[in-house]
Amino acid sequence: MKYILMMSGTQTGVAGYQTWSQSDRDKHMQALGAVVKELVKTGEFVATQPLAEPKEAKVVRGEKNGLPVTDGVFPESKEFLLGYWIVDVTTPERAYAIAAQISAAPGPGGIPTNMPIEVRQFMESRTAPR
Amino acid sequence: MKYILMMNTMRAGAGVPAWPKADLQAHIGFMHNVNRDLHEAGEWVSAEGLSFPDQARLVQTGKDGAPVTDGVFPESKEFLAGFWIVDVDSPERAYAIAARISTAPGPGGKPLNMPIEVRPIMSAPPQEML
Repeated sequence: MKYILMMSGTQTGVAGYQTWSQSDRDKHMQALGAVVKELVKTGEFVATQPLAEPKEAKVVRGEKNGLPVTDGVFPESKEFLLGYWIVDVTTPERAYAIAAQISAAPGPGGIPTNMPIEVRQFMESRTAPR
Repeated sequence: MKYILMMNTMRAGAGVPAWPKADLQAHIGFMHNVNRDLHEAGEWVSAEGLSFPDQARLVQTGKDGAPVTDGVFPESKEFLAGFWIVDVDSPERAYAIAARISTAPGPGGKPLNMPIEVRPIMSAPPQEML
């Protein structure tokens, strides 16, 4: 069963990350990299992807004529997806354990960020073309 | 350049299974056509639907490294219902695809005009994450 593990944050949170020292950021990324390496070894890795900054986000709606209407203004409380991991595991508990590892990645001063990671299962019937 | 197109829903809006069967089939047929056209245009990277929000969990690390899971969310929280990753030549093309998805038919065949969040993603994960 496939799960997506989602790391989200507000624009304020992203601005906070940008004030971390380079060394703290490196240690954070190395810890996340180690999680991925292990997932590759166990065969549970499907994909991971960081997203560009929230300031580049747009919300799009289709007008009556089918043309896109874009909006880039968001409430401060909006949570933006910052990055995700897709894993293929045999139990939900295993997905939670991987999410806990990601949550434990170190922040400033090596203290775990303890960021909440949202864990969601993919639908069994996919709409993707085969 | 790659973009992720995210269809978000409030928990209250997650009542899709309550639609009449014909409306649900029209909606799914529309999404199939979108995916087929993206595939034929060489712009399709991936698309997934997520399970319903009642199965979502937030995971953090406990003191012993074990996962701590929580399934209680604020009423205002937006849940990811599904996403598409497309590889296109311009942001405008990503917005046009999002606009098409936005007009997917709902109950009675009326366009839903759902907001679709469009975010650039990096073409490859940073080297230190692999």
